[in-house]
Amino acid sequence: MELNINGKAVKVDASEDTPLLWVIRDELNMTGTKYGCGISMCGACTVHLNGQPIRSCVTPASAAAGQKITTIEGLDSHAAKAVQEAWTTLSVPQCGYCQSGQIMAATALLTQNKKPSDSDIDAAMSGNICRCGTYNEIRSAIHKAAQKMVKA
Amino acid sequence: MTSRREFLVQTGAMTGGLIIGFNLPAAKAKAAEPPPAANAKVYPPNAFIQIDKDSKVNIVINKCEMGQGVFTSMSQLIAEELDCDWSRVVPVAAPVDPIYNHTMFSTIQMTGGSTALNSSYDQYRQIGATARAMLIQAASAKWQVEASSLKTDKGFVTHPSKGRIAYGELAEDANKLEMPKNVPVKDAKNFKLIGKSMPRLDAHDKSYGKAVYGIDVRLPDMVRVMVVRPPMFGATLKSFDASEAKKTAGVLDVIRFGNKVAVVAKNSWAARKGRDAVKAEWNTSGREKISSASIIEGFKKDAATPNLHPKANPDAIKETAADAKALVAEYEFPYLAHASMEPLNCTVNFDGKTAELWSGHQMPTVDRDTAAKIFGLDPSKVKVNSVYAGGSFGRRASKDSDYVREACEIAKVLKKPMQLLFSREDDMKGGYYRPMAYHHARISTDAKGYPTAWHHKIVSPSIMAGGAFAAMMSGGADPTVTEGVTESAYELGKQQVDLQMPTNDIPTLWFRSVGHTHTGFVMETLIDELAHRAKANPIDFRRPMLKKSSRHLAVLDLLKKNTPLGQGKKPKKGHAYGVAIHESFNTVVGQVVEASLVDGVPRVHHVWAAAHCGRVVNPEGARTQIAGGIAFGMSMSLYGNIEIENGEVTTTNFDKYQVVRMNEMPKIDVFFVPSEDKPTGLGEPGVPPLGAALANAIFSLTGKRVRKLPIALEVAKQQQAST
Ligand code: FES
Ligand code: FES
Repeated sequence: MELNINGKAVKVDASEDTPLLWVIRDELNMTGTKYGCGISMCGACTVHLNGQPIRSCVTPASAAAGQKITTIEGLDSHAAKAVQEAWTTLSVPQCGYCQSGQIMAATALLTQNKKPSDSDIDAAMSGNICRCGTYNEIRSAIHKAAQKMVKA
Repeated sequence: MTSRREFLVQTGAMTGGLIIGFNLPAAKAKAAEPPPAANAKVYPPNAFIQIDKDSKVNIVINKCEMGQGVFTSMSQLIAEELDCDWSRVVPVAAPVDPIYNHTMFSTIQMTGGSTALNSSYDQYRQIGATARAMLIQAASAKWQVEASSLKTDKGFVTHPSKGRIAYGELAEDANKLEMPKNVPVKDAKNFKLIGKSMPRLDAHDKSYGKAVYGIDVRLPDMVRVMVVRPPMFGATLKSFDASEAKKTAGVLDVIRFGNKVAVVAKNSWAARKGRDAVKAEWNTSGREKISSASIIEGFKKDAATPNLHPKANPDAIKETAADAKALVAEYEFPYLAHASMEPLNCTVNFDGKTAELWSGHQMPTVDRDTAAKIFGLDPSKVKVNSVYAGGSFGRRASKDSDYVREACEIAKVLKKPMQLLFSREDDMKGGYYRPMAYHHARISTDAKGYPTAWHHKIVSPSIMAGGAFAAMMSGGADPTVTEGVTESAYELGKQQVDLQMPTNDIPTLWFRSVGHTHTGFVMETLIDELAHRAKANPIDFRRPMLKKSSRHLAVLDLLKKNTPLGQGKKPKKGHAYGVAIHESFNTVVGQVVEASLVDGVPRVHHVWAAAHCGRVVNPEGARTQIAGGIAFGMSMSLYGNIEIENGEVTTTNFDKYQVVRMNEMPKIDVFFVPSEDKPTGLGEPGVPPLGAALANAIFSLTGKRVRKLPIALEVAKQQQAST
């Protein structure tokens, strides 16, 4: 099947039911997107499908064919830059394993909502588990990124 | 054995051309020699620091970076003394070599027990200072000036008239010098980096999807392997049918090894599908009768006749037994899974003559030796690569290298690059849990409510038994089961502590803060009960009992000053405060929790934490370790429960194993006791007080004590019972 990932058309050899996550990680060897639960409970595998955050562990790759897939490796929007910069300056990651998913969710949030309130953040981010407990730092980084986007 | 040069090239730490660095001949020879004597005080800097021509400084970190921030905080220790340019520092994970052994557990390289900064504080500073002295000496020779006329600043040696010269230009000359001994380290008042919140050096890679974890390792022609394991701990494989599995597209092979079946495939998804298609028959030998409930019933029976007595004082038994007004309480704790976000995995390349491993290793020496034994190789033929661990919380310090062992057993048959993957379910069902525990306490008090006799029984399986640390058990008693009770800082009057460590097939392991996960809860809820009986403010009540520990008192002072409970403020309607203070890993942490019940479910709104952890090396890193510990402590105490029913683990993924999420995260304020003492641990000590402080707050809300974990489940049951 042919997929459009990070602006590039790629041919992949995978069975129809293979979750998009494993095509990204194993066929394309793009390892920024993580496996955490496989049942849509943790958000580690979050990628964008036409700009919307989705759980790639439960999305068959075939269902994503012909649509725009963005992974952490392909982020380059205004919002993404603000988010990743805030994440780095505030030293958000601890083990960091959940953070690609967190950043994909946060970027999608800020793309749609330039000035999210704390409850907007709760709603958008509560699907993403961080076992290291970086939630408060994530929240601060989202607010910081939002401010930065206003200024820029 | 890989030379250090090869190691640097392979890790990609050094790019382009010549590696200069400190390849001091004498030091180099030493690094390759057999283990240095325990606690050797002289470490060749070139094993820990490499400076290239452009003054980039690699700092080799002998601890596993699993989120706790050692790549940054330990780099600060060396960079402080070396006086290099922080922006040119690159932390690099150490290979396995005796030179990198732990300074306290000196026979192995390991990360654990919240010891990273405590055990490296002197060592890493000394190494940095030695390297700096050698650079100065090189400059002094080059410029023909007195070494005493030279200073260093951000990666340069400077001289009033000669100007400055970059470390990179001196490295080659410094290489040839004899290593000086006993170079003094800085006076703390001159610290520029220690004590500062230097941003995490791994934050960038971890924010751009570039950090490589074990699961991300990619080797040419690497196959993926998933394993069919017994559905019940201790069950054995009777037979299996792999015909369906073999028909799965992408499956390459199905191999039985011991009581398990490995499915080898081209990719992870095929391995998963193939594995799930294997039909296996098991000898369960009555294990279906085992459940969490039956295990705890057994523990309660054991508590009647405990066979070990880590602390004996028959008067404590006599006094409490005769006291009709004694406070009597029993507690039950479930199994807990670490559930780090990166499921377990291990990548192995064994070609028959040498082997190479990749994983997040908390005990790389133990893992290497296990691998060598399986492959029948000399340990020098096994190379271990420590990559970022996507969390661990103790799980990657496996006492018997369980998942590394599995991977090696399969790799031995395959003889090609392979990656063993655990699904989340495999990881969560796989055992190596914080064991279940049962406590029974009987306490007599004086007229003011302070304990005069304390009889405490604990029943819980051993963690150390059968592992690399079994030798630390004294008289058969595992200190990790009783820690926090036997060495409590409180004055408890006469104390007797009884212990029984039942055995079963369920493997146990250290879990972030280990025994303190339950002992901290028990001690701090009991003290709270005593305070309540005495109608005293729970912070003030603790003070006289802790009068011998200035560190505890300092923490109480901070709680008194900075929290509404300490200030005697009334909480909002429907809210309540609770407090707990507990020492673990030589660090004292106190927490005040503000909680309420929202539709009957406990909700934590705010946590104020105070800690005494000696000198704080990186305040922001320290703060986030406490904050992370609070989140972890909330997940563990509110929801954590690995349930065993009919012999099988039924809590298999995050749908049932609930953890705290963004919408539940409380506000957190952290205060540190200013201290000049050597740093003590912070990875774990933030965890133990949380559950107790929360349970104490819930008591204020409901009038009922929570003595059975997890809290949310028990509170729901109590409410049902009362309606
Ligand atoms: S891996 Fe997809 S939501 Fe957890
Ligand atoms: S940073 Fe470790 S799981 Fe989020």
